[in-house]
Amino acid sequence: MPAGAQTRYNSQPQGTSVKVDGTSTAHDWEMQGVLIGGYIEFGPAVKWDASQPVIGGVTDGKVPAKVYSHIAVRSIHAKVEHGADIMDGLMQKALRAEEFSQIEYNLTEMTFKGPHTAGTPFALDTTGNLAIGGVTNKVSFPVTLEVLEGDKIKISATVPLKMTAFHVDPPAPNIGLGLMRCGDDIKILIDWTLKAKK
Amino acid sequence: MAMMGGVELHADDAAKPAASAEAPLTKIPVGPPVKYGIIGLGAWGREVLKALALLPNAPVVAICDNYPSSLRRAGNNDAPKAERFDDYQKLLASKDVQAVVIATPTPDHAAMTLAALQAGKHVYCEAPLANSIEDARAIASAARAAIKLVFQPGLQERSHPQRHFLLPFIRAGALGEIVMARAQSHRNNSWVSSSSDPDHEKALNWRLHQQTSTGLMGEIGIHQIDAVTWFFKERPIAVTGFGSLIHWKDGRDVADTVQGVFEYPGGIRLVYDATLCNSFDKDYEMYYGTQSAVMVRDAKAWLFYEAGAELGGWEVYARKDDFYEETGIALTANATKQTAIGTSATAGNKTPFTPVYYALKAFTANVGQLAGTVKDYIDNFGDDDPKALAESLKSLKPYEPAATWRDGLDATVVAIKANESVVKQQKVTLDKELFDL
Repeated sequence: MPAGAQTRYNSQPQGTSVKVDGTSTAHDWEMQGVLIGGYIEFGPAVKWDASQPVIGGVTDGKVPAKVYSHIAVRSIHAKVEHGADIMDGLMQKALRAEEFSQIEYNLTEMTFKGPHTAGTPFALDTTGNLAIGGVTNKVSFPVTLEVLEGDKIKISATVPLKMTAFHVDPPAPNIGLGLMRCGDDIKILIDWTLKAKK
Repeated sequence: MAMMGGVELHADDAAKPAASAEAPLTKIPVGPPVKYGIIGLGAWGREVLKALALLPNAPVVAICDNYPSSLRRAGNNDAPKAERFDDYQKLLASKDVQAVVIATPTPDHAAMTLAALQAGKHVYCEAPLANSIEDARAIASAARAAIKLVFQPGLQERSHPQRHFLLPFIRAGALGEIVMARAQSHRNNSWVSSSSDPDHEKALNWRLHQQTSTGLMGEIGIHQIDAVTWFFKERPIAVTGFGSLIHWKDGRDVADTVQGVFEYPGGIRLVYDATLCNSFDKDYEMYYGTQSAVMVRDAKAWLFYEAGAELGGWEVYARKDDFYEETGIALTANATKQTAIGTSATAGNKTPFTPVYYALKAFTANVGQLAGTVKDYIDNFGDDDPKALAESLKSLKPYEPAATWRDGLDATVVAIKANESVVKQQKVTLDKELFDL
C-alpha cells in the first residue's frame, strides 16, 4: 500500500449477519439476513492493533473514517417456521422496498471511547445518517471493532430504532389466528466482517 | 352428518380479528413476478397453465410444443400473451424466460432439464424425473450443482397445505404405533390419447409402452408412494409388484392393473394398487396405527379412532363425517378454502387450488427469493467465488415447502424399481446404493 493511502476494508460475505428483533401483540418476532454490502476507509495513520490500549494514529479520540454500508431489504427474512414469504412481503411493503430497495448508512463521526483492554474489541461511538424507506435520520449508537486474523475486522452493534421515525407504520397483518400488531420499537443487531483491500 | 354433541369450528371463523373495525388491515403482498416458459402442452401442460393463471406473480411469457395443434390450442385458450415456440431450445434461449415447467413425456425430461439448467433457468420438472435411473441421476446431479437456480420435481403433494397440516400430526404419534399403509388410484380410463395424425397419436401414447413408460406405478403411483415415504420418513427397502393387462388390450404392453407391496424398515408395509379398469373409490391413502387410522383423500383427511383410544379433547369441536359404520373426524387445513369447496365427506375436490397449484405457488415464491438473494450477493461480492456464494446461501430457507432434487431422485428410483418389479413379477430390493449420487 502506498504511504499515506487510506486503508480500505471491504465487506465480506462470511462472518456477516443482520438481525432485527421486534415485538407484537401476539409474540416477539425476528428477522435475519447475511448480506451487508459496503466498505470502511480509515485515515492513513490509523492502525488497529488489538494488543495496544489505544488506536494507532488516533490522538484526540476522533477516528478519521468513512463508512458506507447498505442492506438489500429483500435479503432480510423472517425467522418463522411457516409463512416467511408473507412476513417478508409485509416488511418489504412497509419499508417501501419497491422504491427504496436498500437500507443505507453513512458515517459522519466515529469516536474512540478508550482506553482499550488488550485482546478485546475496541469500543467506539458513532453518528451517521441512516436511510430507510426513503426517510433519512441521524442516528448514534456504540459499536465494537474486533481485529481478526487475515487483515479482517468485525464491527458489531445493536441499534435501537422506532419504525415510525422512518414513517413506517408498524405492520398489523390479518394473518394466521387473527390480527397481529407489531410494536414500534425494534432492535437491529449487526455483525459486519470486512477485509483490508490489498 | 353426525355431530356427537359438538359444534363445527372452522379456521376462517377463528381467524376473524376481535377488533377488526378499528384495525388497519394490511393487504398480504405477493412475491416478485417470475416469468414462465412451459414446455409440453398436452393435457398436463394445460393443467399447469390453468394453475399458473391463478397465481398473481407467475406470468407465462413463452410456451412450447412441437405439435402445432397443441401449441395453437394452448396459446389461444390458456396463454394468449405468451410467445410460441416449436423447439424447446429456442424457448430456453429467450432471455425473458426465468423459469420453465417441463411437462413433456417422461423420457424427454432429462435432456430438457439439463439444457434448461445450463441456460440458467429455474426448473420445475414433472415426476417421475425420468424413466431410467441413469437419467434421474443426471438430473439430480445437475440440479444439485446449480446453486443459483431452484429445481423442483413435480412431487406436488409435498407442497400441499393439507399434507403439511397432517405431517406433524402423524409424526407426533396421533396414530399410535404405525403398523401399515394402503393407497389406491382407481380410474376407468383407457389412458389413450387420440389424434388425427397417426405419428402424433403414437407420440401422445408414450405411457402405453414399456420402452418409454414407467407404467401405472411410475406415472400415477409415484405421488402417493412418495407421500407415504415422506410421512414415514423412510425409504422403502424392497417392493414386490404384480401387474396384468386385463381389459385395455389395444396393443399396449404396460399393465392396466397393478399391485405393489412396499416394505419399509421395521416391518411396515404399504400396499398400493392402481387400475385403469374400475373407478370405485378413486384415489386415497390410509395410514393405520395402533390408536387410530387416517384417511387422506383429495384435499381432505379424516381420523378414525380405535375403541379405547385416548382422545385429545379437540375432537369435540371438529366436524364429523359418517363412513358406513365409522365416524371420521375431519382434519382440515385452511378451512376458508375447504368451506368454499363444501364440507361434506362426499364432496369432491372441486377447488381450483389443485395440488399442482400449491406446488407451483411454492416454486414461484422460492424462485423469487433465491433469484433476489443471488443478485444481492453478486451485487455486493461479485460472482467469482462459487464456494462463498454456496456458503452464504446455506442460511437461506425456502419460502414454501417443496420437493427437492433429493426427493425427486428418491421417488423416481422407487417408481422405476416398482415398475420393474411389476414387469418382472418378482421382488426387487432397493439397496441404498441405488439412491446414491
